[in-house]
Amino acid sequence: MAVKNKKLNLKDKYQYLTRDMAWEPTYQKKEDIYPDESFEGIKILDWSQWEDPFRLTMDAYWKYQAEKEKKLYAIFDAFAQNNGHQNITDARYVNALKLFLTGVSPLEHAAFQGYSKVGRQFSGAGARVACQMQAIDELRHSQTQQHAMSHYNKHFNGLHDAAYMHDRVWFLSVPKSFFDDARSAGPFEFLTAISFSFEYVLTNLLFVPFMSGAAYNNDMATVTFGFSAQSDEARHMTLGLEVIKFILEQHEDNVPIVQKWIDKWFWRGFRLLSLVSMMMDYMLPKKVMSWAEAWEVYYEQNGGALFKDLERYGIRPPKYEDVANEAKHHLSHQLWTTFYQYSHATNFHTWIPTEEEMDWMSEKYPDTFDKYYRPRYEFLAKEHAEGRRYYNNTLPQLCQVCQVPTLFTEKGDATKLSHRQIEHEGERYHFCSEACCDIFKDEPEKYVQAWLPVHQIYQGNCGGADVETVVQKYYHINIGEDNFEYVGSPDHKRWQFIKGMAPQQKGDDEAAEKPNAA
Amino acid sequence: MTHSVTIEPIGEQIEVEEDQTILQAALRQGVWLPFACGHGTCGTCKVQVVDGDVDVGDASPFALMDVERDEGKVLACCATVESDVTIEADIDVDPDFEGYPVEDYTATVTEITDLSPTIKGLRLKLDRPMTFQAGQYINLELPDVDGPRAFSLANPPSKADEVELHIRLVPGGAATGYIHEQLKPGDELNLSGPYGQFFVRSSQPGDLIFIAGGSGLSSPQSMILDLLEQNDERQITLFQGARNVPELYNREMFEELAREHDNFTYIPALNDADNDPDWKGFKGFVHEAAKEHYESRFAGNKAYLCGPPPMIDAAITALMQGRLFERDIFMEKFLTAADGAEDTQRSALFKKI
Repeated sequence: MAVKNKKLNLKDKYQYLTRDMAWEPTYQKKEDIYPDESFEGIKILDWSQWEDPFRLTMDAYWKYQAEKEKKLYAIFDAFAQNNGHQNITDARYVNALKLFLTGVSPLEHAAFQGYSKVGRQFSGAGARVACQMQAIDELRHSQTQQHAMSHYNKHFNGLHDAAYMHDRVWFLSVPKSFFDDARSAGPFEFLTAISFSFEYVLTNLLFVPFMSGAAYNNDMATVTFGFSAQSDEARHMTLGLEVIKFILEQHEDNVPIVQKWIDKWFWRGFRLLSLVSMMMDYMLPKKVMSWAEAWEVYYEQNGGALFKDLERYGIRPPKYEDVANEAKHHLSHQLWTTFYQYSHATNFHTWIPTEEEMDWMSEKYPDTFDKYYRPRYEFLAKEHAEGRRYYNNTLPQLCQVCQVPTLFTEKGDATKLSHRQIEHEGERYHFCSEACCDIFKDEPEKYVQAWLPVHQIYQGNCGGADVETVVQKYYHINIGEDNFEYVGSPDHKRWQFIKGMAPQQKGDDEAAEKPNAA
Repeated sequence: MTHSVTIEPIGEQIEVEEDQTILQAALRQGVWLPFACGHGTCGTCKVQVVDGDVDVGDASPFALMDVERDEGKVLACCATVESDVTIEADIDVDPDFEGYPVEDYTATVTEITDLSPTIKGLRLKLDRPMTFQAGQYINLELPDVDGPRAFSLANPPSKADEVELHIRLVPGGAATGYIHEQLKPGDELNLSGPYGQFFVRSSQPGDLIFIAGGSGLSSPQSMILDLLEQNDERQITLFQGARNVPELYNREMFEELAREHDNFTYIPALNDADNDPDWKGFKGFVHEAAKEHYESRFAGNKAYLCGPPPMIDAAITALMQGRLFERDIFMEKFLTAADGAEDTQRSALFKKI
C-alpha cells in the first residue's frame, strides 16, 4: 500500500535541514565546550533521544513571524488612529496594563536573555535550536507588548518608564527576582523553571487573565497582541513538556532533582501570580472570571491531569500545592488591600471596589469575602470619605525569597499572618511561608544575596532617606500623577473628560483627547 | 453525514461527522495528531490538505496565515470536512508497519467454544486469505447491531484464511450479547480488516514483555505464536491476568509452549484467588506479577499491552516507574461502551500511552 512515500516526512526533512549545523568536536573536549551541562547533577546519557517538540526551520520561522507582525501592526495602527483607548470599558482598566508593562513585558526580555544563554549550554543540537527559537520569540513578545501598549502611554500616566522601573520599584522585584533566580541557575533548572513550570503549568494563569481581560474590556491592541503571541506560546509549551520528559527519561538519578525544582518553581510561580490574582479580581472593570475559578480550571484540573501523568515518572504534585489551593479564596483580597495602602509608591492607582464589585466578590468568594475582606473595604472607604485616605508609611517586611511583603496568612486561619524566620551565619532572614523558607534553606548562599527593595532603601542605596525622594527620584514615579488613589487622579479626570462627564484639565492639552477629533 | 479522512503518511482512515473537527474525530478513533490549544490559536495541529474539501473553521489568522490557507493548510482542531479528504500530518511512519490493505470479507462461523465463563472463542473461515500483522484487529458486522465492532485476531498470520476471536460478554452489550447467545456455527458474517497499529516492532531491539488481561489475550496470543513460528530468538515473557482459575483460559496451550521453547516464559496472575488453595501461581494483579518478576526494572525490554483500560493504566505506571518509556510501550486498549473512560481529562504529556 501507499506508505512507501518517496517524499521525506516532516521529521526527516527537519533533521536534514537542522542537524548538519551540529558537529562532534575533535580537538576540544565536550565538557570544556559545554561546562555547565553537568554541574547540576543532571545525567544525560543520549542526546539523540531528544524529540524536537516542534519542527520549524529558520526560513519558515521568519516567513511566519513576518506575516504575524504585518497583521499585528496593521491593527495597532488602526487602534491608534481610531483612538482605541477611548473605547475601553473604564480607565481603571489601564492600571492592569501598567502592571503588565512594568511587571511582565520585561520578563519576556529576561526570557529572551535566558534562552539565549542556556541555548549555548547544551551539547544536544535539538535543545540548542529550540532555545534559540524561543529566545527570538521572547524578544518579539517583549517588543510587541511594548508597542501594543505604547498608545496608552500617550493618554495615561504610569507607563512612561517600564524597563527602568522594573529594575528598581519595590513590588517589581517580585517578577524581577523570579526571573533572575531562574537565569542564574543552571541550564536544566532554567528550562524546568521557565519552560516547564512557568510556560507549561502556570502560563494560562498569566496569559488568559490578561488577554481575556483585554478582550472583555475592549482593548483591541492588547487582545491582538495576545493572539499573535499565543501562536508562539504553543511551541513554548511543547518545549516545556519535552524538556521534562527528556530529563526524566535520561536517568533515574534526575528524578529527585527535577522534583525539587518542580516544588520550588511551582511555588515561586504561584507567588508571582499573586499579582495577577489581584489584577483579575480588582483591576478589570469588566471581569472575566475570579482568580479562584481560574485557579480551579487551570491549575487544579489541568495541573491535576498533568501530575497524574507525571506520577508515572515517579514525580508527585508540587509540595505545598495544598497551601496554594486553599489560598485561592484569599489571595487577591490580601494583595489588593496591601497595594491599596502602598499606592503612594506604585506606578498605578488603587481604589475601593464599587458596591457592585463587592457583591460580585461575595458571590465568587462566599466563604471568605464578607467575613474577612468586605469589612476592611468598608472601613477604608469610610476613612477616605472622611478625608483620611489611608496610606501606610511603614515600609513592609519582604520575604527573602519571593520578595512579596509578608502579607499572606496561614492555611486554615485567615487571621494569622504567615511568617517564618531563620538564622543563617549570624543573620536573621524572614519569609512569607514555609515554602519560601525551604527554598532558602536549600541554597542559602544564593538567597542571602537577594536585592530586597526595602532593605536597600534603609541602607541608603535608593537615592534618598524618605519615601517621596525614593519614589520620585529613584523610581521615576511622578508624584501626584502616576501614584495614589484613582478617584480624583489625573487619569480619572481625563477619562471623565473623554466620556464627556467633566471639563478638560488645565494643562492637559492633548489634541487627541478632544471628543470631536477625527 | 459522515466522510472518511485518510491521514498520510501513515495511511490511517477515520470517519468524520459533519459537525466534528478532524482532530476530535482522530483522537476519538485512536489516531494521534499533534495538538495543543484545541481551539485554533496555537497552530500546533496544522495539516496539509492533499485532496478533498475542508472548511478551515475558526482558525486564528495568526495561527494559520493567509499564505498557508492558499497552500491548503488547515488547523485540524477547527477544520471540518465537506467531502472525503486526504490530509498529510506531521506524524511519523512506523517502519514496522506493513500497511496491508483493508478489504471486505465474508466469513462462516465454524466453531464457538467456551473459553471461560465470560469469554467465548469464535472461529470463522474466510472466503479468501487475509494478509495481516499479528496483533491487528478486524471490524465485524452483526445482524441488527448498529455499526461494526472491533475484535483482535488471536490466530497467527500463518493461518490466513481463518479468524479466531476471543469475545467477552459485555453486560448489556448488543454485539457481544448476540455472539454469546444467538450466533451459531454455519452463520455467515461480513467483516473487514486488517486494522490497527498494534504489532511487534521487529526493527527495535530488546526482549519482549506481553501483558494481557481478560480477552485481551487475543493479540498477544497471535503475536507470540507468530514470533515462535518465526524462530525469533529474543526472550518472550507473557503475563496473563484473570480473576480466577475458570477465567484463565488457554493456560495449557501457553504452558505447553513454555516447555517447548526456551525463550518463552509464561506467568499467569489471578487477582481473585486468595481463597483458592489449589492455585500455586501468582496472586494479585498482572502488573504486580510483572513487577515482581522483573524486580521493578524493565529497562532494555519492549512491552506490549492488551486489555481493559484500568489494566493498561496500571501496567504503564508500573513499567514507567521501572524505567520503560513511551517509545518502549505499545498497546491496544479494549474499550467497551461500559468503559466510557475516554472523557477523563488527560494532559498533553503522552502521545500514545
